[in-house]
Amino acid sequence: MEFLSLLTPQFFVLVAGGTMVGILFGAIPGMTATMAVAVCLPLTYSLGLVDGLALLLGLYVGGISGGLVPAILLNIPGTPSSITTTFDGYPMTQKGEGERALKLAIYASLFGGLFSLAVLYLFAPALADFAIKFSYIEKFLIILLALTVMAALSSSLIVGIFSGVLGIFISLVGTYPTSVGGNGEVRLMPEALIPYLESGFALLPVLIGVFGVAAILAEAAQGVREETAADRLRLTTGKPFSLSLFRGQGVNLVRSASIGTFVGILPGVGGSAASVLSYSQEKNFSRNPEQFGKGAPAGVIASESANNGLTGGALVPLLSLGIPGDSTTAILIGAFALQGIQVGPLFIGENPQIWNSMIVALLAANAVMFLMMYFAIRHLARLVLIPKYVLYPIILMMSVVGAYTINYGIMFDVWTLLLFGVLAFVGQKLGLEVAPFIIGFILGPAAEIYFVKSIESFGTLTIFFTKSPIAMVLWVLIALSVGLSIYLARRAAGRGPDDPAAERGA
Amino acid sequence: MDGGLSSLLAVSVDFSESHLFFPRIVFAVLVVLFLAVLVTKRREIAASAGRLRQEVRDTDRMRLLGTIGLTVAYFLTMPVVGDVYPHSGLGFYLTSIPYLFLLSLLYLHVRRGRPLLIAAVNAVVAPSVAWYVLARLFNLSLP
Repeated sequence: MEFLSLLTPQFFVLVAGGTMVGILFGAIPGMTATMAVAVCLPLTYSLGLVDGLALLLGLYVGGISGGLVPAILLNIPGTPSSITTTFDGYPMTQKGEGERALKLAIYASLFGGLFSLAVLYLFAPALADFAIKFSYIEKFLIILLALTVMAALSSSLIVGIFSGVLGIFISLVGTYPTSVGGNGEVRLMPEALIPYLESGFALLPVLIGVFGVAAILAEAAQGVREETAADRLRLTTGKPFSLSLFRGQGVNLVRSASIGTFVGILPGVGGSAASVLSYSQEKNFSRNPEQFGKGAPAGVIASESANNGLTGGALVPLLSLGIPGDSTTAILIGAFALQGIQVGPLFIGENPQIWNSMIVALLAANAVMFLMMYFAIRHLARLVLIPKYVLYPIILMMSVVGAYTINYGIMFDVWTLLLFGVLAFVGQKLGLEVAPFIIGFILGPAAEIYFVKSIESFGTLTIFFTKSPIAMVLWVLIALSVGLSIYLARRAAGRGPDDPAAERGA
Repeated sequence: MDGGLSSLLAVSVDFSESHLFFPRIVFAVLVVLFLAVLVTKRREIAASAGRLRQEVRDTDRMRLLGTIGLTVAYFLTMPVVGDVYPHSGLGFYLTSIPYLFLLSLLYLHVRRGRPLLIAAVNAVVAPSVAWYVLARLFNLSLP
C-alpha cells in the first residue's frame, strides 16, 4: 500500500478538476475527450506523472461521459460515442423526461465505467505477464495484428490499412536512431529540412493538430453555427426518475458494458463502434424492439454503459502491450513519454505504484463524474450554451502552448501543429481514417525496430511464421480479422449502404 | 519449407543502408495499397467527385481560410515579438490577445452588442490567465 502516499489532496483535486473540464469538453458538440486530453497535456509537464495522469484520466472519463448531455437534450451527440444515446434519449426529452433520461444515462455510464475498470484491473497485469515473453518477432506481429483489427473495423478495410501504413511512413521521417541499433542516418526528407526534422515530427504537435486544430477547421468550414435550441430544454415535466427503471436491465447493462470494454481493447476502434454495436444488440434481443427510437430507456442504458466501458478497455492494451486502444489513450502515451516512462509489458511490474494510483484515479474520476453529473445536472445542461466563438479561439491558443512546450520551445513544432491540422482536415474530407493513421504514426518507429532487428538476427522472412507457436496464433488472428472484415463488407454491401452512424468513427 | 523456398526468403540487411530498409518496404506497401484503393473503390471515387465539389461550394471559405490565415500570422509574429522580450513568454501573451479577438470576430455572425463585448473580454482574460498560470506559476517556456 506504498502508493497511498502518492495520493495527496492535490491528486484528488486534479481528478475532480479533470473530470469537470472533461464533462465540459464532452458536452460541447464538436469537442471530444481526445481533444480535452490533447489540449490539457501541457499542464502535466510540471505536475509529475502520478498527478498528471490523475488530471488526464479525469479528463478522459469526464469527456466520454459528458457527451450524453447534448445527446439527450439537443439531439446532438457531444462526442461520436454518444450517437446512439440520441436515438432514445432525445425522444425522452421531447416527452418532457429530460432529467429522467439524463439520470438513467448517468447511472448506466457509472456502471460501464466501473465494469471496464474491473476488467482493466484483473486483465491488464495478466496480459502483460504473458507479453513479457514476446521477442521482437511477436511484438512486430502484435503491431501488425493491431493494424489489421483496426482497419477491419474501419468503414473500409483497405482505406483503413492505407491510413495506418501512411501513419507508419510519416513516423519514419527523421533519423534512424543509433540508440535502438540504427545507423543514425536521416531519411525521407529534403536536405533543407534536416535541422528541423532531425528527430522527425514530434508526437504531440501531430496529435494536437490532428484532433484539435483539424476539428476547429472543420467547424470553421461549416460556418461555426451556434446551437440555439437550448431554450426549449424541458427537463422535468414528464415521469420522474427512479432506480426501478433498471429492473430487468441487468443483462443489458452487463452485455453493453462488456461490448464497450471489448471494443475498447481492440486498438484504434472508436467509441461510436462500441455504442452502435451494443445498441443494435439490445434492440435485437429486446422483447419490444418497436419501442426503440421512441424513447426506450433500454436504448439509453445500452448506449451509455457501452461508451463508458471503453475507458477501462482502451487502457488494457496500452498498459500491457504499449499499444493504445483508442485515440485518447494514444495521447496518454505522450504523457508517459514526457515523463520518460515507457509503457509496455514491463510497465505494471516495474511501476506498481503508478499502476495502483491510475486505478484509484479512474475510480475517483468515475465517482466524481457520477456525483457531479447527478447533482449538478441542471447547471451542466447549460454548459452546452457556452458560445463557440469564445471557446474555439481558446482551444487554438492552448494547442499552441501544448505544441511549443513539448520540446522546450521549438517553433517548428508549432508549425507541425498547423500542418497536420490542415492535412487531417483535408484527409478526412477525402475519406482517410484518422484513428488508424495516428496508431500507425505512434507504432511506426517500434515496428521498424522489431522488423529490422528480427531480420538482422535471423536473416530470413520465414522466421516470422516459424519462431514460436504464439507467432502462428498471431498469424491466425491476423487472417481472421482480415477475413471478418471482408465478410462484414460483403454483408453490408448486400444490405445496402452502411449505417451512417457507424462510419463517423471517433 | 524446402531449401529453395527458404533461400528465396533469406534476407540480409546492409548496416550502412539499414535506415532505408524499412522505409522502402513501407513505401512499396503504401503504393500497392494506394493502387488497390483506386481499383476497388473506383466507383465510390468517381461518385464522390460531385459530392466533394458540392462540399467545397458549401464551405464557409471566409471562416476556414480566415482561421488558417490568422493562425499563420499568429505563428509568424509570435517569435518576432518574443525576441523583443526574450524568455518572458510575452511574445505568446501579446500576440494571443489580437489573435483571439480577431478569431472571435471571424466566428461571430452578429458582430455587435453583448457578443462583441464578451469576445473582447475573453480575448484579454484568456491569454492573461494562460500566460500567468503557465509561464509564471508552472514556469513553462513560451515564445
